[in-house]
Amino acid sequence: MVATTETALSEPVIGAEQDYTSVSEHLSDLVLVQPTPLWWYAGMAGATALFLWLIVAAGYLFYYGVGVWGVNIPVAWGWALANYVWWIGIASGGTFISSLFYIVGADWRNGVNRFAESLTLFAAAAAGLMPIFHLGRQGLFYWLFPYPNVMHIWPQFRSPLLWDFFALLAYILTSIVFWYIGLIPDCATLRDRATTRGAQIFYGILALGWRGSARHWRNYKVVYLVLAGFMAPMVVSVHSIVGLDFAAGLAAGWHSTQWPPYFFIGALYSGWASTLVLMIPIRRLYRLERIVTERHIEVISKLMLATGLLLTYCYALEAFQPYYKGDAAEIGAFRFSLVGPQGSAYWIKTACNVLLPQLLWFPAVRRHKPILFLLALGIVIGMWFERFSFVVASLAHDYIPSEFFTFHATIWDEGILYGSIGLVLAGFFLFIRFLPVVSIFELREVIRHKERR
Amino acid sequence: MTEPQHNSLDLGAVRRRLARQSGPTYWRSLEELAQTPAFLDVLKGEFPAFAAAAATALDRRRLLQLMAASMALGGLTGCQKEVDPRKLSPYVEQPPGIVPGRARYYATATSLDGFGYGVLLRHEMGRPLKVEGNPDHPASLGGTSAIGQASILGLYDPYRAQSLTQNGQLAGGEDLRTMLVESGSALAARRGDGLRLLTGALTSPSLAGQIGSLQKAFPQLRWHQWEALNRDTERDGARLAFGRAVDIVCDFTRAEVVLGIESDALATAPGHLRYARDFATRRRADEAKAGMSRVYAIESTPTLLGAKADHRVIMTPVEIRAALRFIAGALHAGPPDWAKAQVPRADHLASLVADLATHRGRALLHAGREQPAEVHALCHAINHALGAFGQTLRAIEPVAAMPTGNAASLAALVADMQAGKVDTLLILGVNAAYTAPAELDWAGALQQVPQSIYLGEYADETAAQCRWHIPASHEYERWSDIRAHDATVTIQQPQVRPLYGGRSAHEILAMLLGTTQPDDYALLRSRWQGVSGAANFERFWIDSLRSGVVANSAAPSIAVAPRADYADAFPPLATGSSALTLLFRPDIGLWDGRYAENGWLQEMARPFTRLTWDNAAAIAPATAARLGLAQSDMARLTVEGRQLQAPVWILPGQAENCVTLHLGYGRRRAGPVGTDIGANAYALRSAGAPWSAGGLTLAKTGTGYAFASEQHDALIEGDDLVREATLAAYLHDPQSLKRKQDDASLYPGYAYDGIAWAMSINLNSCIGCQACVVACQAENNIPVVGKKEVGRGRVMHWLRIDRYYKGDIDAPGIVFQPVPCMQCENAPCEVVCPVQATVHDAEGLNVMVYNRCVGTRFCSNNCPYKVRRFNFFDYTGDDARPRESWNPDVTVRARGVMEKCTYCVQRTRKAMIEADKENRGVADGEVQTACQQACPTQAITFGNKSDPQSAVARRKASVLDYSLLDELNTRPRTTYAMAIRNPNPKIETS
Repeated sequence: MVATTETALSEPVIGAEQDYTSVSEHLSDLVLVQPTPLWWYAGMAGATALFLWLIVAAGYLFYYGVGVWGVNIPVAWGWALANYVWWIGIASGGTFISSLFYIVGADWRNGVNRFAESLTLFAAAAAGLMPIFHLGRQGLFYWLFPYPNVMHIWPQFRSPLLWDFFALLAYILTSIVFWYIGLIPDCATLRDRATTRGAQIFYGILALGWRGSARHWRNYKVVYLVLAGFMAPMVVSVHSIVGLDFAAGLAAGWHSTQWPPYFFIGALYSGWASTLVLMIPIRRLYRLERIVTERHIEVISKLMLATGLLLTYCYALEAFQPYYKGDAAEIGAFRFSLVGPQGSAYWIKTACNVLLPQLLWFPAVRRHKPILFLLALGIVIGMWFERFSFVVASLAHDYIPSEFFTFHATIWDEGILYGSIGLVLAGFFLFIRFLPVVSIFELREVIRHKERR
Repeated sequence: MTEPQHNSLDLGAVRRRLARQSGPTYWRSLEELAQTPAFLDVLKGEFPAFAAAAATALDRRRLLQLMAASMALGGLTGCQKEVDPRKLSPYVEQPPGIVPGRARYYATATSLDGFGYGVLLRHEMGRPLKVEGNPDHPASLGGTSAIGQASILGLYDPYRAQSLTQNGQLAGGEDLRTMLVESGSALAARRGDGLRLLTGALTSPSLAGQIGSLQKAFPQLRWHQWEALNRDTERDGARLAFGRAVDIVCDFTRAEVVLGIESDALATAPGHLRYARDFATRRRADEAKAGMSRVYAIESTPTLLGAKADHRVIMTPVEIRAALRFIAGALHAGPPDWAKAQVPRADHLASLVADLATHRGRALLHAGREQPAEVHALCHAINHALGAFGQTLRAIEPVAAMPTGNAASLAALVADMQAGKVDTLLILGVNAAYTAPAELDWAGALQQVPQSIYLGEYADETAAQCRWHIPASHEYERWSDIRAHDATVTIQQPQVRPLYGGRSAHEILAMLLGTTQPDDYALLRSRWQGVSGAANFERFWIDSLRSGVVANSAAPSIAVAPRADYADAFPPLATGSSALTLLFRPDIGLWDGRYAENGWLQEMARPFTRLTWDNAAAIAPATAARLGLAQSDMARLTVEGRQLQAPVWILPGQAENCVTLHLGYGRRRAGPVGTDIGANAYALRSAGAPWSAGGLTLAKTGTGYAFASEQHDALIEGDDLVREATLAAYLHDPQSLKRKQDDASLYPGYAYDGIAWAMSINLNSCIGCQACVVACQAENNIPVVGKKEVGRGRVMHWLRIDRYYKGDIDAPGIVFQPVPCMQCENAPCEVVCPVQATVHDAEGLNVMVYNRCVGTRFCSNNCPYKVRRFNFFDYTGDDARPRESWNPDVTVRARGVMEKCTYCVQRTRKAMIEADKENRGVADGEVQTACQQACPTQAITFGNKSDPQSAVARRKASVLDYSLLDELNTRPRTTYAMAIRNPNPKIETS
């Protein structure tokens, strides 16, 4: 680690000694040459075990119905929806880094975008599963799709759930395409450097015949820019629409215009935090300190702090609005979220999302990787509690006092949550083993820029 | 098993054997091939049947032939030897009068407490499916109770006893007949010595007549009676007051001031449905022609009447006695020095006395069966002093046959059983093993009886102890007759043949009298031929059956006057102490425990606690604080050394130091639904203190308990969900009560060119009796989900009755609010469903398309009234109800779909189709929703809002009309009429 008194932002995006060859070799060797490290096996085994838990929990759920969860009337949405909003928020970080910072030409993004995008992909997949799990009749989820059918029924276009379905579907599909297109030149590199026949074929197929010609590069740049331009607003819209799921509802506490930005900010926040949670250990384990530098960590930490402050403002607004409106039901729901049976969720979210990131004001904290890791992990957890508190409190404490009730999760709720973590981690472990964790060709671009300067 | 001898293989023989084989031959081992004896031994040990089969030298062809023959001949077992000469006719041509899909109604009566009220059973294709009140019957006037509504589930209950048993072994009908006829002749020989009959309260004239014949045939027979929730105190009170037993029939329509002394007039008293109707007609401020009545209640534990009262005074049982003496003294119905005694709440009582005094002839006192005889005597005396007799109430001859003292009667029986004086005991439907007073050793006494015969619907506690258990028929399966509270007779006609082969009491008694082939129908007819006095008996019979009422059978009034010295025998008033008193109360659902097996009644929320599947030791908040008890604490109740554990429920409005425990729970052998549900209060109940036992101690056990309550938060928060006003304010300026509703909208509303269904619920009338809830469950195929699921917030009732308290926690006002689907004009549920599974229809209903629902549950989240219910599991599939008992007009819902109140769309559609066929509009009142039809107080009005002349439109035009959560601008179709209270201006309301 470089000891310096300067701020890390002035540090280079890439180690000064890195050149085309060292970058290509280092990153492709991780995939092609180096033996699979022991920690990978351990991690993959843990992730797979968790993933199996998801399969068991989902199987049980499909067989017996959503009654196996703690959902009830009035709290008809429980952990599944909290999980959904949480995962889709985690997914946002990658999209934001790779698309928005691509458009604005922030070259530091090239060190982390692949990484963050992969997280997006798996987190979005986990998010996409949740609304399907959550349906009473899971097998009929496709009825939300406006396809021509013998029933002559269209979906209901006024429903925020339908908007959400479109937004999520579009987001997942474009995320996959965006991620894959960004991979093509690297796959070609891997194909060229592969030493075994199998690897050559595998990466050759993935490379889609990429030869690195100028025309390829030109087409590539156009497509990537268009997609980046597409993804940047989409990440905003998908989270706003998640916010609309609630804002368009009538439940006391949900019926408010502040939720779209609230959810977007929250999503970014958890996106940064989860990127850090995965990046810090992988950077260490794969010895990527010269490629993913202090600068990257610094930028993301600061973004996290800024987003945290925005979110704190949102929380303040959330507390202010019921009293400003003076609506008794809303005040009741808000107070219930503070002191009701799920009150601890509110205070955990406040501690993790508001108080904890204040530590990031200190450069020492931002530099200290284990602390930063724990801090980011705290935020990721805090964000889950935020989602949970938000979904449950308003439902449990709505307008009619006789119907106030609460929610108790069952082991099958837990199975779905922990299992989905397994799904994301397993996918992520596969990714770091079989694909370059950092975009090789984009690093070459960075080096090229550096040389030009 | 011996080891096969491997060395005994003769390979040469094996080769030779193989050479002889033709075709492909498979072998498993050399041993098999060699057919060594050792191998055959092993084979025989392993597959014994194979050895036998192998011995029969069966080849493949023969085997297939035999298999084919078995298949072909297998069906022959279904053939009968002789051909049944009775012909069946196919349903190709419709039998006259039966149209698939069109209901038929048959009148009969359902009973509670031995008293009947008239009902009409709806039949679809020959199956009775729904109970409705009989509008022609004076005890119903079209209303039903929750228990009456649930009786149809009892009819179909698959856990009703289905087999005749002797000493626990199956017995045949012939055995029973032989036994009864032989016992009968043996008993006749000794004039019935040793024969005892035990029945509950009964009013059936024909059964009473049969028992009379039995007594004639067996002069030594003794007839005992045990009704656990008996009305002995009422009878004793009348004896004290008038020197004779009488029954009182009240007329609430003429009562301007009502005082209920823990009155069950609206809940369980004989005639309660009629009383509720009459009561409600005087409580609708905007409609009552003769002015609104004023209601006072004095009680220890909340009653339905108390909840409706304008002034509810909470007193302990001792204070109630003192208060009544005070009132009697002040109204010159008792010694004048009573009026000078110290009483609690004296100023309150003085105003009450003044109110009563100024309403002479228009006042009415009613006391519940749980009150001691003294209170009943005082009530009679005060009523008499107020000139109530002949005005607001009348006395009639006791309706029940043999109105004896139940406790004494049972005690005498048990003593005789123990003394060995009883050799044949015939029990007609009395589950004494469960309900007998705790100090009686019923089980031990029964052991002394050589021949005990129990006729009961269930294989219950008593059935297990008796030698014979005869499954009883349901009251919808037999011919009988029954009287109502005013003695009006209904001939009960069977609605269906006994589903499980049950027998009636008539049959059993007839067999005992020597009839080998008893015929209830002939018996009933011949009896009524004798007493009807009708010139044309066929006409009389048909009319009685059709209308469900035997004309002019109500009892005439009799004149009574109180004895001057009625108060002399009164026990002295105990001085007030802080000792706890245990109050035993009937349960509005399980009654004395006999309906414990009925899932609808178990899952019905109790009006005040809103508990399902449990009873509880209900205590006042102040008492709980004093004893350090919290809600759901498990407590040990000790009375006279007898102990019981019951969970604590804190009940606002309960008298201090009084613990209410409802009877009917804690059954040991009720069946799979009702066994071990709640705490058995009978374990503490003695014959001497059947309703209130002093000297109770209540100790915390340290453990907790999980209740399944349908409502978890009772105090009204925020906006005024239940609006109330005083009569004075209403009369002064009705318009001031009207809340202006601003329904401006950017969007155009729906246009309705036809019917716009709407409902209005009058909060003045709703007494919280839960009949509508059970009626809705019966009509709409709503499954029972069980305690665990209710506890998890998944009850399926489409209609619920919310109970709110307001004011002082120790003496709160109590209000009931039925909440069905509001069928909003701007329905929040409709817009959020992504698949259009809930949509607005042409009549303005929010219809739920079950087939289209994928179960996102957003509609429920978005429903501010939370009236939607979700099938979290396959509740319908898990319901034990026989398939034939479901309403064929209503879809049953699958797992994972949302459901809710539809305004009984099956009924509205049916009416519209009928109207279409006749080319006319649907008339006002032509369609009744199930809840509306069941409601004894007519609190619910339903109809076409577009027709300004319709009853519902008129109600909605009232200034009292308001909609729930109107600030959300959902514009509900279901609206409420504000509750109006009529407090005495002289009494300061707290």
